[in-house]
Amino acid sequence: MIATAAAETATLLRSRLGAGVLGAREMDPDLLWASVDRSCVREATTVMKEIGSRYLVTVGIDERPLGGGYGIVHLFSLDAEHLFIAVDCPVSAGDPRIDSITPLIPGASWAEREFRDMIGVEPEGHPDPKRLVLPDDWPEGVHPLRRDVAYNYRPPSVEGFAPELVKPPRGSSVLPVGPFFPVLEEPARFRLFVEGETVVGCDYRGFYNHRGIEKLGDSVLTWDRIPFLAERICGICGFIHSTCYCQAVEKAADIEVPRRAAYIRTVMLELERIHSHLLWLGIAGHILGFDTVLMQTWRIREPVMWLTEEISGNRKTYGMNLVGGVRRDITDAQLPRILDVLKTVEKEALAVRKAIADDSTLHARTVGVGPLSTWWAKEICAVGPPARASNVLIDARIDHPYAAYDDLKPRLCSSDGCDVWARVIVRLDELEDSIRLVREALANLPAGAVRAEFDEIPGGRVGVSAVEAPRGEAIHFVMTGGENRPYRWRVRAPTFPNLQAVPAMIRGQSIADVPISIGSLDPCFSCTERMETVSVADGSRRIYTLQELQALAQSARARRGNGDGGAP
Amino acid sequence: MLLSKLREALICVQAGRVTLPYPYAPHDPPPGFRGKLALDADRCIGCGGCAAVCPSGVILIRDDKPMVRTLHFALARCTYCGRCSDVCPEGALSHTLQFETATNTIDDLVMTIDVFMGPCQRCGRCFPPPTAMDQLPIRGFRMDSECCRVGADMPAPDAAATWAAAHSAPPGGVRTLTP
Ligand code: SF4
Ligand code: SF4
Repeated sequence: MIATAAAETATLLRSRLGAGVLGAREMDPDLLWASVDRSCVREATTVMKEIGSRYLVTVGIDERPLGGGYGIVHLFSLDAEHLFIAVDCPVSAGDPRIDSITPLIPGASWAEREFRDMIGVEPEGHPDPKRLVLPDDWPEGVHPLRRDVAYNYRPPSVEGFAPELVKPPRGSSVLPVGPFFPVLEEPARFRLFVEGETVVGCDYRGFYNHRGIEKLGDSVLTWDRIPFLAERICGICGFIHSTCYCQAVEKAADIEVPRRAAYIRTVMLELERIHSHLLWLGIAGHILGFDTVLMQTWRIREPVMWLTEEISGNRKTYGMNLVGGVRRDITDAQLPRILDVLKTVEKEALAVRKAIADDSTLHARTVGVGPLSTWWAKEICAVGPPARASNVLIDARIDHPYAAYDDLKPRLCSSDGCDVWARVIVRLDELEDSIRLVREALANLPAGAVRAEFDEIPGGRVGVSAVEAPRGEAIHFVMTGGENRPYRWRVRAPTFPNLQAVPAMIRGQSIADVPISIGSLDPCFSCTERMETVSVADGSRRIYTLQELQALAQSARARRGNGDGGAP
Repeated sequence: MLLSKLREALICVQAGRVTLPYPYAPHDPPPGFRGKLALDADRCIGCGGCAAVCPSGVILIRDDKPMVRTLHFALARCTYCGRCSDVCPEGALSHTLQFETATNTIDDLVMTIDVFMGPCQRCGRCFPPPTAMDQLPIRGFRMDSECCRVGADMPAPDAAATWAAAHSAPPGGVRTLTP
């Protein structure tokens, strides 16, 4: 079934592109790797759209040390066939240009701007070719993910630079939100264009929080160190990222994970979804000024955190995953305790759901707010609960079954409400389903080892893995290298596509609805911004000693004393 | 409307007070918790396995005295992952339940031990490489590799030489830091 889908797609590409197809092979049972001439990239994308595949992300690879130029790999997912398709377009090093596919797929915009920044390949015909990831004062011509840029490179300070700003439409004024997003306390800067109380457009600048994670992964760390870094991509759904990374490596290296390990991963993934959805519900209440919801959902969530602490040794950074399996087992003695916690959480979450279901204040703030149409959700490639609440029926657990989801079938929770309320309902449904999944996983926990033995991981292999995070589908792409680490590791956090839906969601809304509209994506800015590197503004940073700080504080106090007319 | 407000109020009332008395009463983490590391100096054989797996470069190994190998743990960098205690062949490393590690004195987060290494019976010195550590097939980031030393020059971005340098560096084994 899978093999035929891959073969059919390859045949179709060959018949449409002719000699434009440089080669097509099945890297993995679920990955078709099609190399096409770069002049055919738009045609190949059109074919991908016609067969109903969904754009995921683009990976830019510097292949010069391997004897090539740059590789631009557009990843697609043919959900019905559980197949990933990689459209790989080699770009020569002397002429780093490729046709942009954003005019065909609006959701490719950020990924193309990203490889423009990081690899230095120009997407020609991109509607908005400005910097996405690199700081505005980063020197021209330095592309951090090129292999000849050292991971600890710091550019010199620059004076007198200005960020590229979008001009507001005529007649509107600019309302800045950020650079710290006021409700989520995370770095993101929105410039809202408003006419009176109504938002008519917006400009986003983010990526203030780059941590150089991908660069560290392919230049400094080793296979088994990366899961611990991957886990720190997100402060809420870290286990998702370490699982996704490990799975990508396991696929690339043909490592079979023991069934028990797959089940334990499933249990931890679903526990993470449970506490993440409760956390989100609380934040949503907080954004709306309904702090009772915040207090109570976080109270209900806390026992789940204690539970994961008991299982893994830490309440959040579980440190459970390694390539080949997990490090800690779930013992029989822990089972009754897990079931106990699930029972309480289920009961209490249900009570909250019942209580808020008919709350007309909540409805007034959420129904019809932050609309995202099914059509645009597909065009912009939205994922996770925001997509499902707009009736886009995707879920990585079903589309690309991993861990134990081939045995334990999740329910696809969706709604056609297309607004914030629909996103609330979808998440509440998923919460219930997650509790069921943990119970089923524990009831069917197979016996056996929890980690596979394997030899050295060979170079030059590719693995693509998807994991359904609470916020949506995360994608990890790993190309193995010969130095006990990946040659290229690409992370796509679910917020990366979802944030691109924001302009459409808030256009025509009132200013007061902007925070909950953005919040309803459950955005995680820090995950999105996993890439590069340190701001050059740091060049002027000064570190004060304790004495200096005390002196500063004293002089400030003295000044205030004078100014305030002798206040103490 | 009124009904949902009543339900919401009921949830709050039923929950009662949930705030723990911590820090006025101790709040111990469960067994198996990965807290601050403890190192049993009597057990350590200086194999360097811990330094080779640590994801965050906590452990620095120096061989700058005859017959003595120094292990230096900069625990301020520790992420409490527990990989070091997993691989330690002698069970010299373990996690305590201690999580209150905030301090004004960085030395509180430093552990250093000197391990007596087997000397040559004839000349009395430690064995020169290859030692067990050098033979470890683990490559990659080392706190004691040159590029990570504080104050090391950051390489320029453009030169192809950077690429070449990065890849001609000895890939394998643990390199020891000369004083
Ligand atoms: S616990 Fe982890 S981070 Fe800390 S020293 Fe051990 S291996 Fe390194
Ligand atoms: S792994 Fe254990 S025995 Fe080896 S150097 Fe580290 S602490 Fe010592």
